[in-house]
Amino acid sequence: MQRRDFFKKLGVVAAATAVAPAMSYAADAKKKPQGPNAFSYKQAVDVVTGGKPVKTSSKIQMKVPEIAENGAVVPVTVTVDSPMTDADYVKAIHVFAAKNGNARCVDVNLTPANGKAMFATRIKLGQTQEVVALVELSDGTFLTAAQRVKVTIGGCG
Amino acid sequence: MGKRKSLIKIKPKKYKDGEIVKVSFMVMHPMETGMRKNKKTKKIIPALYINNVKFEYNGKVITTMKVWETLSVNPVFTTYMKINGSGTLKVTYTDSSGEVNEKSKKIKPKG
Repeated sequence: MQRRDFFKKLGVVAAATAVAPAMSYAADAKKKPQGPNAFSYKQAVDVVTGGKPVKTSSKIQMKVPEIAENGAVVPVTVTVDSPMTDADYVKAIHVFAAKNGNARCVDVNLTPANGKAMFATRIKLGQTQEVVALVELSDGTFLTAAQRVKVTIGGCG
Repeated sequence: MGKRKSLIKIKPKKYKDGEIVKVSFMVMHPMETGMRKNKKTKKIIPALYINNVKFEYNGKVITTMKVWETLSVNPVFTTYMKINGSGTLKVTYTDSSGEVNEKSKKIKPKG
């Protein structure tokens, strides 16, 4: 009898351990954490450009590590080749993280008084994804550049 | 909470009138995303992040930034600025709780 009980219990425990992680995973997927400002990348780009065409440009230099060991702090530097005069300057630099819950990171509005179109900050990345810089020039054209970052440990959540 | 610690750094330290210098603004801020849980109480920590940052130089707005919670903890904002006479550089930042703080630094070009 004792032996039989032991095997019964063993079976129950095994079944429970097999099912429990699957259940908790399903529950997690159901209420996937959505931050207060969940915003997709596509939406974010649409809001900024208003449907205008966006051109990939080599004028933008992005300095982002290819492999980020810690997703909580990823340094990003965006430099735009521009004379920054009253007639021709960079109006805004937008930084997006394509797969973050909230894809928007920062919108920077520059003026000719900056002298040089550059912006650097540190962002959080939840997973391996592309970091995108969208640049608006004073004549209304949009330029973009992107770089893929491999994230070893996610930094959102 | 009191006043948050912040710092404005200008590189190079000695600059002339008309020179373009690098300006970094650092602020000690938790930048909570609203998705993290307190491990003990299992309650979600409410979002708290910097919303807006404004750089003003002698009363003229140079750079404004709209910021979301996706920036790292204790964020750094770096841009360039053209020195145009002595005066003050004032950085004003607003947080999602409505807290407004500012930090200023005197600009003294030499030569």
